[in-house]
Amino acid sequence: MSQPGNPAAAAYINMDIENMKEETSAKSTGLLGRISKNTSTGLDVSNPAVRVAKQLKVIRKHRNEINGLTD
Amino acid sequence: MALLTEEPTFDRPIAGQSLTAELGGRPWQNAPQYSTVDEVLDFYMESMSSEDFMLQAVDILEMGVPITTLANTMQMANVMEGVHSIDTGMLALPVIMEMLMLLGDSAKIEYDKGLEEKNPKTRDSLLAKFASQYEEVLDETDLEATIKNDDDEVQQEIKEEPSGLMARRD
Repeated sequence: MSQPGNPAAAAYINMDIENMKEETSAKSTGLLGRISKNTSTGLDVSNPAVRVAKQLKVIRKHRNEINGLTD
Repeated sequence: MALLTEEPTFDRPIAGQSLTAELGGRPWQNAPQYSTVDEVLDFYMESMSSEDFMLQAVDILEMGVPITTLANTMQMANVMEGVHSIDTGMLALPVIMEMLMLLGDSAKIEYDKGLEEKNPKTRDSLLAKFASQYEEVLDETDLEATIKNDDDEVQQEIKEEPSGLMARRD
């Protein structure tokens, strides 16, 4: 950690978004069927930390694009 | 009988000083402006997207301030101003850090993330290694000759000093 008593590093490292479960969209078979998100991935969206992790993942992806890295 | 103790320090808050302000008189004692994480994240996204902020943040990162320190300072300042609670601030910390890293990468500057251990614990083996190296250097050095040379030089300087009454002294 950078400084004793600074919780930022611990908070950042503990997010562990690399190992976060992916959300997959389930395809419906009917023509007029609605494409709905599969909620059986184990992600609890009502958990604020999960929502933060999702935002973090979007920014990380953008950052990786800038740095020329792939996921 | 007076006890022989260290001198007391008076440069401290008086007991109960924190209770002297009226309850609710401080921003952090009131309900925060943003109460959910989503609102707090939106607040930071908006404020961190301004050009003024970007320029200032890049300058600060270039100065070598770690991202962890900067992010923590930002969220603490907003807690003090009553923008959000400390809980939501802690949750938003990783996003603030990632945004700062994004700014740094966009500006193509070298910055300190603050995630690495700066002062790793000194190993005993490392200390032993330096001690043995120091002993070797001491053994190789002829201390008596060095001291004698130094003495000669000092004597020479003393002799060269002007002795006349009207001589100018430094």
